[in-house]
This record gives sequence, structure tokens and C-alpha cells, in this order.
Amino acid sequence: EQETEVPQAKRIRNKQRVLLLSSRGINHRMRHFMNDLEALLPHTKKDSKLDSKNHLNLLPELADLNNCNNALYFEARRHEDLYMWAAKTPNGPSIKLHVQNVHTMDELKMTGNCLKGSRGLLSFDKAFDETEWGRLTKEVFTHIFGVPATARKAKPFIDHILTFSILDNKIWFRNYQIVEKDPLQPNGPPQMSLVEIGPRFVLTPIRIFEGAFNGATVYSNPEFVSPAAVRSLIRREKGEKYGNRKH
Amino acid sequence: DDAVPKQKIEIDNKVGDIALERIRDTIKLDPSLPWTETLTVTYPETITVDVDDDLNRELAFYKQALHGAQTAKSLAAKHNFPFTRPSDYFAEMVKSDSHMERIRQRLLDESASIKRSE
Repeated sequence: EQETEVPQAKRIRNKQRVLLLSSRGINHRMRHFMNDLEALLPHTKKDSKLDSKNHLNLLPELADLNNCNNALYFEARRHEDLYMWAAKTPNGPSIKLHVQNVHTMDELKMTGNCLKGSRGLLSFDKAFDETEWGRLTKEVFTHIFGVPATARKAKPFIDHILTFSILDNKIWFRNYQIVEKDPLQPNGPPQMSLVEIGPRFVLTPIRIFEGAFNGATVYSNPEFVSPAAVRSLIRREKGEKYGNRKH
Repeated sequence: DDAVPKQKIEIDNKVGDIALERIRDTIKLDPSLPWTETLTVTYPETITVDVDDDLNRELAFYKQALHGAQTAKSLAAKHNFPFTRPSDYFAEMVKSDSHMERIRQRLLDESASIKRSE
């Protein structure tokens, strides 16, 4: 008898794990927002707040300790501005984005729901493929927001879709539940519809660095104005208005 | 007047593009990876609506998501990948039952107040 060993094609897997953590000084909305991401992305490992905002070089090490090859770090400034770092560790790149207009899943307006830990579809609009920073961002977000099939808590079905769209040079995020049955005709022909689950947020890319939380800047958004500068300008204009009226 | 402070330019993004492409090459997932490993779809259109027009903006996102879900469903069928959750499969949801109950209550309250005002 001859043993015929069929050379089994080794299945390539998409192995991703994401370290999720924040700086000190996040407010309740930011905290809930992070909890939402943790609930949606079962391949994340949440860690305690990072003590120092000046030692981001600790993060790749921390990711390594947790067997993570990605990091999602939320940096709160002045208790009101939120920045998100999406990085590949240990070799980079890292993308720094400004997070705005956060709506969490707790809000009662979004009526959708999905399985905890189910793998979400990822949808990117065409604009991501039109610029080099867009293509890189799409690649990194695919690693971070795509739940790998091997994730411990992943479910074998698909019931929601995460969309990333570029509009007004910002990245808009939405998350919808996929409903395949018409609630009015449960036995009728399947008709796909969507119900928003949340969270919602808008990201403005600021910079892309070559390394993980360090290295040379390879992209910087010329249109980005820091929220502090915007606020101070508004205040100054208000002050000028008063000054003009007085004189 | 529009509040736009002076913009600073530090990096030539043309030069940066070459670096970005090189970096993307180093982290790119194996192109032979089956679709079921990433579940990523691309919407063949760009979104061009007025940002401040909430209704049309959300509609555009909805259309993108619906297109993505439908594409994914046919891709899943091609890959023999289970898509639809059977109706007898239950597991923990991201929103708890009590939270969903509050959402339902709010919807009921809303429709009741509409009825009252009619």
C-alpha cells in the first residue's frame, strides 16, 4: 500500500490583533465610544490608560506584550479634543486623525442591533483609491476594523456592515445592521434593508508617520486646522466685535 | 468672515506619495488571501453630496452600505460562506435587551405623541 500524501495547501490566514487604549483625561463620551469599538471588534485587547502623553514610544512595546500587531490609541487633549492614532506595530506606519461628531451606540435614535463579536463587512468608497494616503489608510483600516475569522469571539454569520466614506476630505464612519427579512412580510421575498446601529464619527486625517508612533512624516494634511486654533480664532473675533462696538 | 488661520505646509505631499506607496507595500495583505478573510468591499462611486445636507448625506452613506451588503452577499455565496444568521441562532448582542426595550419605548412614545397632536 502506498501512502499518498496530498500536499495540503496551507491556508493563509489574516491574523490581526489590535491593542485598544486611551490616554488619561478622556470624558464620558469618549469612554463610551471606546467601549462601542471594543464591543464591535472582538479582536481588540483593551489596556489601561497610558500614563504619559509624551512617551508614545512605549506603545509598540505594549502591543508586543499583548501579542498585538496593530494599535488604536485615543489621545484626549484639554478634555474636549479627541485624536485617534491607528498604527501598525512594531514597524509602522501610523496615522493620526482628529475625531469629531461622536455619537455612541447608547443613543436611542439608532435602532439597529447585531451579534456581539460578529464579523462586520467593511465598505470603502472609491475616493480611498484615488489618493495615496487614502490607499494606505484603507489598508491600515482593513487590518484594524476587519474582524479576522480566527478572532476568539467571532460569530459565523454576517449581520452588520461598517462603512467608511470620504466626504469633504474627512472620513465618515457608519455602522448598519443588515436586515434580510421585510418586517411587514416575514414570509415574502427577502428584501435587504439596513438599520443603523452606531456609533457614528468623523475622522480628519492629520498626519501619517513612517514608524509606529514615531518616524518621519510622510503625509500631512494641509487643510487641517487644530481645534484649539479654531476656538481661539472664534474667541478673538468675538473680542474684536466687542472692541469695535466700544470705540 | 471665514475663520481659517494661516496654513503651514511642511511636507511636499508629492514626495510623500512615493514613501506612502512603499510603506503600503510593506504592510499589504497577501493578495491571494481569500475574500472571506477580510470581508472588504469597495463602493464603485465617490460620495459627492453637500456635507451640510444631513438627509442626502445619510442617504448616500446608506446607499453605499446597501450596495456593500448586497455585493458581499453574492460574494459569500460564491465562496460558500455562511451569511444569513439562522433564526434559531441566539447569542449575546451588542445592545442589551433592556437597552432595546428603551429604544422601543421611545419609538412608542414618539408615535403616541404624533397621534395625540393629530
